[in-house]
Amino acid sequence: LRVKLFGSLRSVIDGQTGRNAVEATGDTVGEVLQELCTRYPGLRDAIFHGHDLGPHIRVMINGRDIALLSGLETAVGENDQIAIFPPIAGGLAWLTRKSSKESQ
Amino acid sequence: MEGWAGKILTIDLTSGSLETSPLDKDMARLYLGGRGLGGRLLWDLVGPEVKPLDPENVLIFTTGPITASGSQTSSRFNVSTKSPLTGTLLHSNSGGWWGMQFKRTGFDVLIVKGKAEKPVYITITRDGVTVEEASHLWGKTVFETTDELGQNRNKRNVLCIGPAGENLVRIAAIMNDRERALARGGPGAVMGSKNLKAIVVEGHEKNEVAENDQFKFMLYETRKLLKASPLTSQALPEFGTAVVMNVINEIGALPTRNFQQSQFEHAYEISGEAITDEILVKNQACWACPISCTRITKTAGGKEGEGPEFESTWAFGAQCGIDDLDLIAEANYQANDLGLDTISMGNIIGCAMELAQKGCLDADLDFGQAEMLAGLIRDTAYRHGLGDDMAEGSYRMAIKYGAPELSMTVKKLELPAYDPRGMQGQGLVYATSNRGACHETGNMLGPEVLALPRLIDRFATQGKAGIVSVHQDSAAVVDSLVYCKFTNMAVAEEFFARTLSAVTGLPFTADDLMKVGERVWNLERMYNLREGFTSADDTLPDRLLNEPVAEGPSKGFTAKLPPMLKEYYQFRGWDENGVPRPRKLRELSLEFTMEETND
Repeated sequence: LRVKLFGSLRSVIDGQTGRNAVEATGDTVGEVLQELCTRYPGLRDAIFHGHDLGPHIRVMINGRDIALLSGLETAVGENDQIAIFPPIAGGLAWLTRKSSKESQ
Repeated sequence: MEGWAGKILTIDLTSGSLETSPLDKDMARLYLGGRGLGGRLLWDLVGPEVKPLDPENVLIFTTGPITASGSQTSSRFNVSTKSPLTGTLLHSNSGGWWGMQFKRTGFDVLIVKGKAEKPVYITITRDGVTVEEASHLWGKTVFETTDELGQNRNKRNVLCIGPAGENLVRIAAIMNDRERALARGGPGAVMGSKNLKAIVVEGHEKNEVAENDQFKFMLYETRKLLKASPLTSQALPEFGTAVVMNVINEIGALPTRNFQQSQFEHAYEISGEAITDEILVKNQACWACPISCTRITKTAGGKEGEGPEFESTWAFGAQCGIDDLDLIAEANYQANDLGLDTISMGNIIGCAMELAQKGCLDADLDFGQAEMLAGLIRDTAYRHGLGDDMAEGSYRMAIKYGAPELSMTVKKLELPAYDPRGMQGQGLVYATSNRGACHETGNMLGPEVLALPRLIDRFATQGKAGIVSVHQDSAAVVDSLVYCKFTNMAVAEEFFARTLSAVTGLPFTADDLMKVGERVWNLERMYNLREGFTSADDTLPDRLLNEPVAEGPSKGFTAKLPPMLKEYYQFRGWDENGVPRPRKLRELSLEFTMEETND
């Protein structure tokens, strides 16, 4: 299946300007990422903290964030597309107590 | 009264009178500055009997207590007026250097009233305030005017309109420091209607802070937070605001070809990555900003300028089905030089393209025609041919050509770069924004896409009302201090309160600030109700409500606004018609709006 990498992660796959996609295999998102990390060692440091994804790394399958699916255990098929984004947000929360406690 | 300069300058262009008056301290505490203070002054000065382009409309330029303090991103300022595009209260803010420089002239606020007989420009310097003849500048572009009036970044700063403002184009921007913009809602047309070409400022007064040691500590703390955030320390400096192009496209929320699709097949070619790879010359920062998100770019054609920002790239790109990054960048430079709102301009071009595609408009125009951009932008600024219709905004243009459903607007303001069918909360933001469809008054990009502070289901509707409300109030606080929204994505309101306390010597808490934000939001709501707006205006284009996305990750979704809106009114303490209840108004010290609206 196709894996797209964005931002600074592009340099991990070959450093060529403009190229941002590679082919990979696996039955789950985690397996696909592990295969890519074996092939491109720099990717592991860029997206993993231990066995988990880094706190601000966003991984999507067909446009759906795996954080709202089954995380790294999310099943994938050969026609799926995975997108990996480096940290583009994070830091302190701006959303305050009132919104989540009273509204949800 | 540290933090505030304590003075308002009022210039009546009809009579030529100049007046200095004290800033009301209680008003300053309740509304802070910027957008809040501007809205409060507008309430008193411009009632429903005044049309936006009447001499009786005013331009209120406001700084905030933070402005020019040296706190990170404290360059910003605001303009408030009645919008010629929407008829609503309008607030718009900008970075650069002008706001800092104006504050250093010793004023918090500049109110411009009336209409000059001939074109004029205003100077505010150590030598005083003058109103000078500007016939020699009338007709000149923004860049020409800025250069001719002696822009000198840290000493002398120019704010002006271009031909679009002079020609009363309803999407005309006021530009400052060449390429920074007070853009949305057409404030440039109000300036043009007053025959006011430019305002030049040279500051000389130092802005004192009340508690210097605490202020320095907050500078240190804020710097740490900005460095800790991947957005402000890495993504924005490296790829600019268009860093979000690919992620928005990936989730199926990038409006394409006038919102007919929600993914653009060439998004990568116009993304922040592509800008960095292909046309970036260097980064640039506004005064006192460590983030440096501005891009100085140069196209293959040899043209150079600022930007394009994410929204502008989207507007001239995906919205028009265009993937030529060079021509998109050049369209952005051109719109800046002519003094146009790039979001509305691109959105309108996309609308015109669909009008032609559907046979409503007899023009040789279709999506993807990058070579058409320059001519359409120029014709809009000068009101030539079809440009005269485009200058009225897409709402009025689409009605004229018999297809109002093709106008992607809320309250007549063109939508920015997020498709609410793929971000349900963003739909509620657009529908309820007091100045019309706007991403700057409570953007849901954080929680619905970037997991800031945590990820929520972007397709869900339940519970979104409260999150949107808090985001809206927070944005009103930031716009009133005045800070940059990107600071807002790394620094919590607690830190803003501590900095504000250090600057002013007055005790502010995070809750105090959120109360200010809620007050500002409700004041703006009451202003629009006084203008005759109703809950029927809290809506979205028919396409978004009723046409499901055909392909991609948002396939099958429409914007499910009604349940969110009902919940929103309840959360806000408004009645079922979207009118703030008396109890809520009293709680926010807004009783005066109730009395006047009831008259």
